[in-house]
Amino acid sequence: MNTLVSRFTSSSSTELKALDSRDPDYGENEASDITWGSLGGFGNLGLNGIPSFNIPTVPDPTAFLRLHTDDAADSSCRIKIQHGTTTLAFRFQGGVIVAVDSRATAGSYIASGTVKKVIEINPHLLGTMAGGAADCQFWETYLGSQCRIYELRNRERISVAAASKYLSNLVYSYKGMGLSMGTMICGWDKTGPAIFYVDSDGTRLKGDVFSVGSGSTFAYGVLDQGYRWDLTDEEAQELGRRSIYAAGHRDAFSGNTCNLYHVKEDGWKFIGNYDITKLHYEGSQGAAYGYDQRTQ
Amino acid sequence: MSHYTRTQSQQHPTQRQFNPYTENGGTILAIAGADFSVIAGDTRQSEGYSIQTRYAPKVFKLTDKAVLAVNGFAADGNMFVKKVKQRLEWYRHAHSKDMPLRSIARLIQTMLYAQRFFPYYVYNILGGIEEDGTGAVYSFDPVGSYEREACRAAGSAQSLVQPFLDNQIYFKNQTPVLGTSHPTHLPLRHVVQLVIDSFTSATERHIEVGDGVELYIILARGRGTQGLDSFKDVQELTPHAEGERLFVLRRELKKD
Amino acid sequence: MECQFGLSGNGYVLLAASTTAVRSIVKMKHDQDNIKVLGPQLIMSYSGEPGDTIQFAEYIERNIRLYQIRNFHALRPSSAASWLRRQLADSLRSRNPYAVNILLGGYDNATSKPHLYWMDYLGTLTNQPYAAQGYGSYFVLSLLDRYHNPEASLEEGLETLRRCIDEVEKRLVVSQGKYIVKVVDKDGVRVIEL
Repeated sequence: MNTLVSRFTSSSSTELKALDSRDPDYGENEASDITWGSLGGFGNLGLNGIPSFNIPTVPDPTAFLRLHTDDAADSSCRIKIQHGTTTLAFRFQGGVIVAVDSRATAGSYIASGTVKKVIEINPHLLGTMAGGAADCQFWETYLGSQCRIYELRNRERISVAAASKYLSNLVYSYKGMGLSMGTMICGWDKTGPAIFYVDSDGTRLKGDVFSVGSGSTFAYGVLDQGYRWDLTDEEAQELGRRSIYAAGHRDAFSGNTCNLYHVKEDGWKFIGNYDITKLHYEGSQGAAYGYDQRTQ
Repeated sequence: MSHYTRTQSQQHPTQRQFNPYTENGGTILAIAGADFSVIAGDTRQSEGYSIQTRYAPKVFKLTDKAVLAVNGFAADGNMFVKKVKQRLEWYRHAHSKDMPLRSIARLIQTMLYAQRFFPYYVYNILGGIEEDGTGAVYSFDPVGSYEREACRAAGSAQSLVQPFLDNQIYFKNQTPVLGTSHPTHLPLRHVVQLVIDSFTSATERHIEVGDGVELYIILARGRGTQGLDSFKDVQELTPHAEGERLFVLRRELKKD
Repeated sequence: MECQFGLSGNGYVLLAASTTAVRSIVKMKHDQDNIKVLGPQLIMSYSGEPGDTIQFAEYIERNIRLYQIRNFHALRPSSAASWLRRQLADSLRSRNPYAVNILLGGYDNATSKPHLYWMDYLGTLTNQPYAAQGYGSYFVLSLLDRYHNPEASLEEGLETLRRCIDEVEKRLVVSQGKYIVKVVDKDGVRVIEL
């Protein structure tokens, strides 16, 4: 309660006890300033803005985490972290199209069919979610606050390149500790539309067309063949939708619905949510997507 | 020398595994209505095939308009609820009001994610009333990913209960009678009945569910009891009728 | 699956690196430049663990640049190679080492000689007339034993490089796609379209 006492005994903020992430009590038992107020929800942020984590006191914390959470290695482990996804994004004449499915699986059980796999970082930036849902959700929201701080300091919006590099460096610092994310940071900056692929290995790639997740190969199959730079807005949206449908149809771990976003110069816009079963039988503009529907 | 070799042969290398987790069974469930929210859980706590206790609450009142249900590893769950309550109390002291529901949801995310490398083995469902007076349910995974939903079941009978709810709440795979449509929001009485039925059915088919069920019902500010008084065993937890009203309904379940 | 090779000739070093970025079975990118220009007459190609590669390469790039700014001249190839090796060796003995393999090509203006260095993530450094890394090396090293000529002109060197690329394309199960080729000589660094 040192902080509490000093809070009321001194008017000087410099006397506040500096938070030290090496302090074993840090963030756990200490009623720090951060615990009292709101830090955009990031209650575990230290004064330096870096969140601190509780690490198990075992010789190999990473092996410990893997033992209990890695369902790829052992399906009987207790804590299931959701996997299985299809996400895609591509750049074209009219901006960036971002399309994702909405299925979350834990083993063979469909844990949710309504997951929001597009994370709205801010009005100009979108992030996609593949891999660990919590990792993507937490770090991309955190990225959102950092981008806002950048705006306040520099009086201009952060570039997509800088934002994605921030995220890439951040996850790289946790390399080997078990984070799992494959994300596309999409937006529009001074250079025009931009997409960066960032994953938890620390890979960061700039490109025009990306797809991530277990269904990505199926999405690529449709996406690559239909892709042109000079697609109209409607054609591009249709291509995104059609590619997610293809993945939802072929990949058991993807499906339910497709969420579609379009990023333009003035920020992103949510285009719609489409039921994949409905796309199969009815399509989105009259023509059904399903092979059997299309050819009969 | 011979002594040395003997001790050598006796010393088998042993590998020790630090396993701080277990699974305590049970099921939790929450449904959001237009202006109410129902959060429920059974009260059996077990480990393997042994029942540890027939009354271990899994649903906890956080504020007058927020209720948290926890399922998974009971020790982690109890610890987590304790810490959430502590943070909410600090918030009350600092801001002289209860934390809004959506903020509690975000708080839970960060508290869970702070344990990213040593997770709480707990599935959380948060139910309550938003600041705009709508009923809300938030569901979480053990490391803090969350989403607002209309209905969610978690725990050992999740795979039994959720499909039933999908059918009865979302009307999945149901076609309305020609010229009619499915209702968008179900009345409270109907929802309470569905929740109780979910638990009696889960008790019939799952060994880890049973003994008793606790339903917490939160009504938005200024709403009537919406027929809640027609249920027996309903107890009001809020002292007065202004503001959100919180009720608890306890029912026995089969104990075999 | 990345592949990189380099060879020196009469007054130049050539480096070639595949441009595909792969993740599991998917080619994520077809125009990745894995050859960094470290100085007016120094180039480095890199491959290895995703994430480590770019982090390490950028670290090296910035520090070599810093040396040049502080000392008003660029590091000579042999010194650069020694320093680079030391960075890898120190990293190997740290908590999380960089798993990066490197080819370093440079032209030493003081002696007017080209230099090619082969380096692996363990910090092994060798000076070679030609070198290769990745699966391609199993085909290319013998080829270069047979065809490499240290006195070859740039044209002849490029011809040998083409042989290497063709051989890998012909025999390696996975196609490497396009290569980026850079040359360093007395005139500096250039990208070469094959």
